[in-house]
Amino acid sequence: MSVDSLGSVNGWIAIVLLAVGTFIIRFSFIGLLAGKTLPPRFARMMQLAVPAIFAGLVLPLIVIGSHGFALDERWPHVIAAIVTGLVAAWRGGMFLPVVAGMAVLHGILALVA
Amino acid sequence: MSDTAVTADARAARRAAFRAGVRECLPMMPPYIPFGLVCGVASVQAGLGEWGALALAAFAFAGSAQAVLTQFLISGAPLLVAVLSGLVVNLRMAVYSAAIAPRLAGASRGQRILWAAFLVDQTFMFDEVRHQRGEHRDAAFSFYLGTATVLWPWWLLMNGIGAFVGAQLPASWQLEFTIPLSFVALVVPLLKARPQAMAAVVGGVAGVALFALPLKLGLIAACLIGTLAGLATDALLARREWRRSQAGDAS
Repeated sequence: MSVDSLGSVNGWIAIVLLAVGTFIIRFSFIGLLAGKTLPPRFARMMQLAVPAIFAGLVLPLIVIGSHGFALDERWPHVIAAIVTGLVAAWRGGMFLPVVAGMAVLHGILALVA
Repeated sequence: MSDTAVTADARAARRAAFRAGVRECLPMMPPYIPFGLVCGVASVQAGLGEWGALALAAFAFAGSAQAVLTQFLISGAPLLVAVLSGLVVNLRMAVYSAAIAPRLAGASRGQRILWAAFLVDQTFMFDEVRHQRGEHRDAAFSFYLGTATVLWPWWLLMNGIGAFVGAQLPASWQLEFTIPLSFVALVVPLLKARPQAMAAVVGGVAGVALFALPLKLGLIAACLIGTLAGLATDALLARREWRRSQAGDAS
C-alpha cells in the first residue's frame, strides 16, 4: 500500500484509533482502574520496552538506505546520530543534540559533494 | 469568616501554582520546535492531510507515537500495524498513569479526565518532581493545568506550521532525519542503567535484522526481543548480586 492509496478515510481512522487508544492508556490507572496498582513485573517490562522500541525504530532509520542496509551510503547519517547521542549524553535535552546532529550531517554532505 | 479567608488563600495558592506551571514550562518550548515541525511534515507525507496532521497533534498529543505512526504509514505498513506500533510507544504512559493515580485521591471525574488528557513525558516529570519535593497536592492540578496551557497549544502550533508550511521545504534539507535524531536524544539518557542499555542494543540490532519482515511487524518483534533481553539482564544482575552477598557471608 503506497502513500497515495492511503485514502483520506483510512487516514482519519488511523488518527482516531491512535488518539482513542492513547487516551485509554493515559486514563487507565487514573480513571478506569482507579485504586488498582500496576504489577511490578509489568511495570518493569514497560520501562524496558521504551529503550527497546526506540532503538528498534531508530537504528533502521539511520542505517537502512533506499536499497536496504547500506553503511557505504548512510555513514554520514551514522556519524550525525553518534554526535546527537554524545551531545544528549553530555547536555541532555533535545534541541541542542538534534541541531548538532543535523549540522554535522550537512557539513559532511557539503564536504563530500 | 475564617472559611472565606481559607478559600481565598487556597485560590491565591492555586493561581500562583498555575503561573508557576506556565513559567517552568517556558524552557520546554524550544525543544518542541524541531520535533513538532517534523511531525507536522511527516503527517502530510503520510497522507493524513494538513487538517489530519492538526487533529493528530491535538488528540493524540504524543510526538513519539505520531512520528512512529506516520513513519509506518509512509513506509507502507498496514494501518493496524502502524497504529499498534504507535500505541506500543505510548505504553510508557500507563506507567505514568499508575504513578500519578494514588496522588489524585480527591480528584473529580472531570479532573481525572484532564489529568489523563495532557499526560505526556514533560507534564509527568513536572508533577513527579513536585511530588518528590513534598509539595502540597491542593495546588498540583493548577500547576498541571499551567503546564498544559503552554505545551498543548505550542505543540499544535508547531505541528500546524510543519503541516502547512514545512511540507514545502526542500527535500535536500533532510528534515525528516530529525525524527531519528530526536529519538536518539530521547533514549540516550535512559541507557545509564545496564538492563535498559541491553534492551536498546538488542532491540536496535533486531530492528535492523527484522526490518524486512512482512507487514512491518519487525518493530514490534524488536521491542519484544529487546524487552526480554532487558529482563534477562535484570535476572543476571540479581543473581550476581546474590552470589556476591553469599560470598560476603562466607568470608
